[in-house]
Amino acid sequence: MKRKVLVNVVGVLLALLLGALVMLVQGYNPLETYYRLFEYSLAPGKIAYTLSKSVPLVLTGMSASVAFASGPINLGQPGQLLMGALFATIGGLYINLPPLLMVPLLLILAMLGGALWSGVAALLKYWFNMSEFITTLMLNMIADFFTYWAINYPFFEKNANHPQTPLIAQSGWMPEWSNFNSSVIVMVLAFGVIWFIVNRSTAGYEWRLSGQNSLFSRLGGVNTSKNYIVVMLLTGALAGLAGGLVIMAGPHRFIKGIGGNYAWDGVMIAMVANTGIILTLVFGFFFSVLQTGSLGMELITAVPRELIQVLQAVIVLIVVAGRGYFETFFAKVEARRKMRERTA
Amino acid sequence: MNIITGLINGMITSATPILLAALGGSLTYYAGIFNIAMEGMMLSGAFFGMLGSYYFHSWPMGILFAILGAILMALIFILFAVVLKMDEFITGIGLNLFSVGVTTYMLRQIFKVKGAFASPEIVPIPKIDIPWIKDIPVVGEIISGQNLIVYIALLATIVVSYLVFKTRFGLRLRAAGYNRTSLDTSGVSANRIRVWSLILCGVLCGLAGSFLSLGYVTLFSEGMSAGRGWISLAAVILVSGNPTGIALISLLFGFTDGLGLFMQRSLPSQFTSMVPYVATLVALFVYSVRLKKKQKI
Amino acid sequence: MTDIIEMSRIFKIFPPSLVALDDVSVAFSKGEIHAIVGENGAGKSTLMKILYGMQPADSGEILYNGKKVKFSDPGEAIQAGIGMVHQEIMLVPQYTVWENVVLGYEPVKFGIHLDAKKARELVKQKIEEFSFNLNPDAKVEDISVAARQKVEILKLLFRNVSVLIMDEPTSVLTPQEIPQLFGELKRLRDNGHTILFISHHLEEVLELSDRITVLRKGKKVGTIEAVEATKAGLAQMMVGREVIFESIRKDQSAGEVLFETIGLNYTDPDKRPRLKDVNIQVRAGEIVGVAGVEGNGQLEMVNVIMGLIEPSSGSIKAVGEDITRKPILEKRKRVAFVPQDRGNMGASVAANITENVIMTHHRLDKRFTSWAGRILDFKQASSFTDEVRKKFDVQMSSGEAVFKSLSGGNQQKVILGRELLLEAPFILLDQPTRGLDVGSIEYVHQQIIDMRAQMRGILMISADLEELFRLSDRIVVMHKGKVVANLATDNTNVTEVGYLMLEGAAYEA
Repeated sequence: MKRKVLVNVVGVLLALLLGALVMLVQGYNPLETYYRLFEYSLAPGKIAYTLSKSVPLVLTGMSASVAFASGPINLGQPGQLLMGALFATIGGLYINLPPLLMVPLLLILAMLGGALWSGVAALLKYWFNMSEFITTLMLNMIADFFTYWAINYPFFEKNANHPQTPLIAQSGWMPEWSNFNSSVIVMVLAFGVIWFIVNRSTAGYEWRLSGQNSLFSRLGGVNTSKNYIVVMLLTGALAGLAGGLVIMAGPHRFIKGIGGNYAWDGVMIAMVANTGIILTLVFGFFFSVLQTGSLGMELITAVPRELIQVLQAVIVLIVVAGRGYFETFFAKVEARRKMRERTA
Repeated sequence: MNIITGLINGMITSATPILLAALGGSLTYYAGIFNIAMEGMMLSGAFFGMLGSYYFHSWPMGILFAILGAILMALIFILFAVVLKMDEFITGIGLNLFSVGVTTYMLRQIFKVKGAFASPEIVPIPKIDIPWIKDIPVVGEIISGQNLIVYIALLATIVVSYLVFKTRFGLRLRAAGYNRTSLDTSGVSANRIRVWSLILCGVLCGLAGSFLSLGYVTLFSEGMSAGRGWISLAAVILVSGNPTGIALISLLFGFTDGLGLFMQRSLPSQFTSMVPYVATLVALFVYSVRLKKKQKI
Repeated sequence: MTDIIEMSRIFKIFPPSLVALDDVSVAFSKGEIHAIVGENGAGKSTLMKILYGMQPADSGEILYNGKKVKFSDPGEAIQAGIGMVHQEIMLVPQYTVWENVVLGYEPVKFGIHLDAKKARELVKQKIEEFSFNLNPDAKVEDISVAARQKVEILKLLFRNVSVLIMDEPTSVLTPQEIPQLFGELKRLRDNGHTILFISHHLEEVLELSDRITVLRKGKKVGTIEAVEATKAGLAQMMVGREVIFESIRKDQSAGEVLFETIGLNYTDPDKRPRLKDVNIQVRAGEIVGVAGVEGNGQLEMVNVIMGLIEPSSGSIKAVGEDITRKPILEKRKRVAFVPQDRGNMGASVAANITENVIMTHHRLDKRFTSWAGRILDFKQASSFTDEVRKKFDVQMSSGEAVFKSLSGGNQQKVILGRELLLEAPFILLDQPTRGLDVGSIEYVHQQIIDMRAQMRGILMISADLEELFRLSDRIVVMHKGKVVANLATDNTNVTEVGYLMLEGAAYEA
């Protein structure tokens, strides 16, 4: 347990160090830069904002984590997020109920949108055995163009100078208290539910075992094809929920490129978290710290915020490689110690 | 007649980068590597190609830089997946994102722009007129006057075919994929073969990238590989790596892409842009249904 | 005779705690056949892999032709003249014989072009030189296991090795193929080659070798001249106590038919028939053994019975009910299953022991769940793990430990425990002792005998004829997807079964 924490922390520090070297080479002051970065996202007044921004990261991260741990290689979070966002937006444009009903309704619509899109991939696999690994990627591209069309034509706001929809009904906006957006509460609830399903339920047990060894699970009497569909729908719904919350907490309308920022973040977070649910939450928040802080970093130190994109990828590579490397390293140390005991 | 030559030329143009990247993927496929990093290699190639051409006002330097940029990504892949034995899939995803990050960061850092950079200083790769043939009506318009990279792609198909099936390297390459311990116990390091297949994949993806930024357009824009690496991966999987098959599949994708442009007269561009991705799904569908008859456990 | 290889004070430890080799020193002479014997897990293969450069030793040194060597990969060992034929055959199945032989030493033209014509010619010459009876153009996937082994040997001879390491070469052969291999090995020895021969079959060892080194639990017990050795003496050196080879069944009359396959046919997607009209009956209190060379339909039969693939025709009955196309969970109420491949079909090696133990029980036994089967009861799960640990004598730290941290024998005990406690009347065993050490094998055999005494019906597939004769009441022989014989164990012998496995028909004297 301690070792696991150590591996993650060391990996992240190594990646930050590498980033620092890049900054040094280009004549920036790394300490100042990192200070500004973390100050901007973690200062007392800012942390609520950073938390709100972590919502889509954590939700798409959980979507990818649950999928990967259970077997399906669902890489479709970007498309599922967009479809969820579109569904919530459409609901918000045509329906108006009191907030207590409206918010849950839009959230359900968002989940339906995401599940619909992942469901397409699931059925393609179920009926025709088409690998979800490629189909979800292609469906991402298709969702991208489809939603772009939707905000250009049927749901286009007249007189706007770039593609976007009108605002959704105000009753569907996620309440906000100063910097704290209530979408965080939804995220925490979703986290609790997912943690419980994965760690306590029969289904979670079967998913995990199927993800590790699907043949063994099948022979054990587990209905792996049914579980596959359920996992695809659930993870699609999670990504869709992320999309709905992006709309309902943020611009309250569908703007072009809204999902672009989160495109691969979910997959990255799941990988760096080794598909653990708690680590997904931690890294989701950490990536939000980096992304939010990058704005402040750019404002004050003139280091372009795009550097954070590089840094995120480097963190993934180093932490994951480190995990494997440390394991063999510790095993070797152990062997050498035993060796000495015997020859002594 | 004009429509048809236009359609065919459009097909060749869209097929070229996919073909080149897929040939690279074919080499790593035979070597038994689950390589999904073509997207990132191609993107890096496109950026560095533009950079080289811009600084040296020379397209050959552009091509050279494109190749070096893609090889750089291949080397990172080698470091993580071969040396550190990290999961190839995670390495590939990480590398693709790294490539997106690095190119946007450098675009911002070097050229102080976001989104895209175009300049008259960037020298495009020339089109080649073939004497005699260019004067033949219709056929001349297709066979002659294509971009240099198009001819290189054609040549690359033949070279990769020869390399895989007729050379010592090819025998070892396929052995590395079929049964790597067999190759290792034969006294040839399978890892060395894998490293070379990745570097060659880098070269081919670099060429594909140079075609993107110096071929049919002369600019670099963020994420301009736009999923072509994934489509080429699908092509490789569909034909189990066979170079000739890859050429045919790439032309098919090129054709649907051209068809999409053609359909723009009657459909919103968002739908026509979807065509290559839908075509990939359709191709995968045909492949899977065929395979499904071979029931598996 | 001069020593060609001297290995001294070799240690090897596999993390976390397995001491594979513990201070082993051994010397091999030029031009001898030297057998290395020991139980599974005694360290025979590890010792040879260290010599061959496949694994580094943790300490110790190796002298080869009087010079200190340390091969960092097999390529270097081959270069120096040491070659190894592995237990699992390491060829490229998609390649032809000549392609496999030249791989790594290919003749080329213009620096890169593979000179196929010359390569084929060279291989043909070698085949003739050693009169190996191989077709250089045959694809390896299409030739017999014995022929593949010859290709492996040829591949090494093509590289001019003088020391040949053979890792359990007879384990994949039928009794009838063995003498031919031995003849070839003796010829090679007479040509001046040194042969190191790993085995645990004592009769073969006595027949073939000049000297014998015995290993036990990673330690060297001794090296003796073959002419001075006896089977019983070697066995005692190997296990440290006396072992019995005869049948351990008690007389008992079988009950009603518990399980039967009726006219089972299966044709694979490439239109090759894999099972042809298979009829097998298993009665209560009876062990039916299935003998056959691997790849003669056993795998397909298991997959059909378990429901991984559907038969083309025919049916399967268990405890009076047709289960041919029932969902797997439904089958599992009547069929317990111990697969041959622990890490693939038998367990999830990445999961912990408890998670592995409760599989299937979690669906069939209401005690494991609450809320109508939706929530797992972890208390019940861990007390069940404890039950398996006690009843089946599993050495483990806790149920939380990851499954792959267990030794092979303990892994198999966990799987047996899970399956036998399902209390299904019929038990399907596929190579239940493959890769286990002698102690564990005896334990597993005793459990199987106990199940028989409890009047369960048992169908056991095994590649080990000794095991089949020790346990089975009846032996059915499979050949090319057909059941070619159904014999009472007491009325047959190893030679007859071996002949049937190979030829598919009884031999006529």
